Amino acid sequence: MAEILAYVHKEGFFHRLHPFTKITFILLFGLMSILSTNLLFLVLLVVAVLIIAYFASLSTEVMQQFKLITLMSIILIGLTIITMPSGDTLGYLIPSIIPIIGGHIPITMGAIDFGLVLTMRFMVLICVFQLFVISTQPRDIVHTMEHMKIPVDYTLMFLIALRFIPTLQIEGKRIHEAQLARGYNPGSGVLGKVRSVAPIVIPLVSNALARATVLGLTIDIRGYRTGIRTRIREFAFQRRDYATIFLLIAAGCGYTMLIVQQII
Amino acid sequence: MIRLENISYTYPHTVQKALKNLSFSLPRGSCIMVTGPSGAGKTTLCLAAAGILHHEYGGKKEGVVFVDGLDVLNYPDLTALAQKIGIVFDDAEAQMIFTTVEEEILSAIEHRGLDVAATEERLNSIITTTYLTELRTRSPHNLSGGQKQRVALAATLALGNDILILDEPTSELDEHATTRIVSILSDLKKQGKTILLVEHKYSHFKDIVDALVVMENGTISAIGKPGDVLADVRLKKIVIADFSGIRTMPKQAHQDAQFPVSSDPIIQVRDLSYAYGDILALDSVNLIVQPGEFVALVGENGSGKTTLVKHFNRLLTPTLGNIIINGKNTRDCTITGLARHVGLVFQNPDHMFFADTVNEEVAFGLHNLGITDGNEIIDAALSEVGLAHTKDLYPRWLSRGERQRLAIACVIAMKPAIIVLDEPTTGLDGDEARLVLEILKILQQKGHTIIIITHNKEIATNCADRIVTMEKGKIISDSCGGA
Repeated sequence: MAEILAYVHKEGFFHRLHPFTKITFILLFGLMSILSTNLLFLVLLVVAVLIIAYFASLSTEVMQQFKLITLMSIILIGLTIITMPSGDTLGYLIPSIIPIIGGHIPITMGAIDFGLVLTMRFMVLICVFQLFVISTQPRDIVHTMEHMKIPVDYTLMFLIALRFIPTLQIEGKRIHEAQLARGYNPGSGVLGKVRSVAPIVIPLVSNALARATVLGLTIDIRGYRTGIRTRIREFAFQRRDYATIFLLIAAGCGYTMLIVQQII
Repeated sequence: MIRLENISYTYPHTVQKALKNLSFSLPRGSCIMVTGPSGAGKTTLCLAAAGILHHEYGGKKEGVVFVDGLDVLNYPDLTALAQKIGIVFDDAEAQMIFTTVEEEILSAIEHRGLDVAATEERLNSIITTTYLTELRTRSPHNLSGGQKQRVALAATLALGNDILILDEPTSELDEHATTRIVSILSDLKKQGKTILLVEHKYSHFKDIVDALVVMENGTISAIGKPGDVLADVRLKKIVIADFSGIRTMPKQAHQDAQFPVSSDPIIQVRDLSYAYGDILALDSVNLIVQPGEFVALVGENGSGKTTLVKHFNRLLTPTLGNIIINGKNTRDCTITGLARHVGLVFQNPDHMFFADTVNEEVAFGLHNLGITDGNEIIDAALSEVGLAHTKDLYPRWLSRGERQRLAIACVIAMKPAIIVLDEPTTGLDGDEARLVLEILKILQQKGHTIIIITHNKEIATNCADRIVTMEKGKIISDSCGGA
């Protein structure tokens, strides 16, 4: 089973970059996508991320997220249409041919535009974060965060959160199988998902809570709070990292120029 | 090395004491095995001995625990105690943090203040001694339960501490892997390590155990040299599972054949192959099971046993080949439809419990079959497994043995002709394991076809009519039980 957000062992160029370089990449792309409201620029950012994923040999993994992103974009555009009507009206969500209730909830250009901006933003954020997590071993992330002087509690919280994603996925599948074996058929679609909440989520949460206690104890026992660590098998900052960071800084400067000159 | 004096402990939000005025000491260089029924307080004892109860748990504590002559409360925190004690918890999965086996073990060594060369040397030595070389680059999350237990043990050994507390470190291991663990512990004992071991497999560990502790209801019922403790017939039944006579158990008075025995096979596996991605888990398996048979499916961890039985109710669909259940090809059936014919009890009963009461938990399966007024069936199923008195309790409050029996009740209430159980005696003491197998034998006498996956040879030879052995995705032998 393909695990969500679990490290993928490959030899691509992105894997070879220092985690700090990748964190810089996430921060820059994240900031650019959050600050920008220009749809074309955001589309270009998405294309850039997909090109990077392709050259990092991680495009299959990134594309797996697109089902979720499509669903999310439909919800986001739907929400903006309902809550933020502005600009030209293209039609109505409830067609005017329907008597009495027809001709309500206008579909406006402004709402669609903003919905698409939000979708592209999330697409960039999800993809860059995924690229970082699946190409970096958790141990290297912990070491880098430690070098960045992030308090150990926050580092461990991040580590545990990352580690629980595949666990919950695998555990959820096992629980689902156990309930199916008892003849459970919640049905498909949204209603099926809602019906399956109690038999799947209750054992999932109960087991995860029990597991979190043991995991916390294990982390303490292995000595993560001692502050002592043998500097072994650590990523060294290499020429490619300097080059990438230089490119990222150049991109950041270019973006600032575009903002200042009000081009985007 | 460790001394517990009059320890009593009550978990938060509960009233019953998990440990009751318990005292014992673990001398340096000794190996003490603790055993007893599930819910007796063995895991709580491990937590107390490691100082975890005093440092990390709320609840009401009485008494003192000394580690290396010092009260555990005088150690600043758990990290300080972890310089002396290594502990393997019973949930191996929860102890896997990283993405490769090597990284997992390294994480235990790199905080010990060793230089790079010594760290690498210890890493390689631990990987070799725990036979993990082949799994070195694998993700711990994708390993089998038994393999995860080995990684958890390796990471704890990597700490290099003198005291080891091991809570059921071999519960999911097959015979071969258990023997390896015994040999590792035997070497550690020779090196002067002190070992507190919670186990149910006394016969495997008897050569290295200096003293035996039997726990019941939060207290120590017996402590002493194994020979002295085992002289008591009642205690012996708890320590050493006795499965003799189960196969020839007298038929129950209330037996009524629910499933008329027909001459046609109830399960036919024809040239079944199944692949998980690139890994071939089952390779041209053929198997025929007649109605009313009691089949034990044995084999090492990862040999394909669970993968095979998941095909019986179509949780998995064959990559190649066919499965015929009751004359119907599973490819033409739904999982829900097959649930009427095949009941599957998974290894970990906690994967299924979600209801507020035991009664509702059993009713869930019946509702799925469209039976809304099933009180009589529920009562009968609970009585069958000896849990009638627990029907209003919260399922997760039951002991491990009781939860295992509840999982069986959930399945038998649905009256499937075939009942498949994956390792039904994991984590149970001798008495509890026998009770589960006696229940299964009665179900067989009622006409159910029983298939159990087990690592325990004793169970296979004493209870099953047929023993099917698997290795690397193939059936390598198929013989009569007790032969």
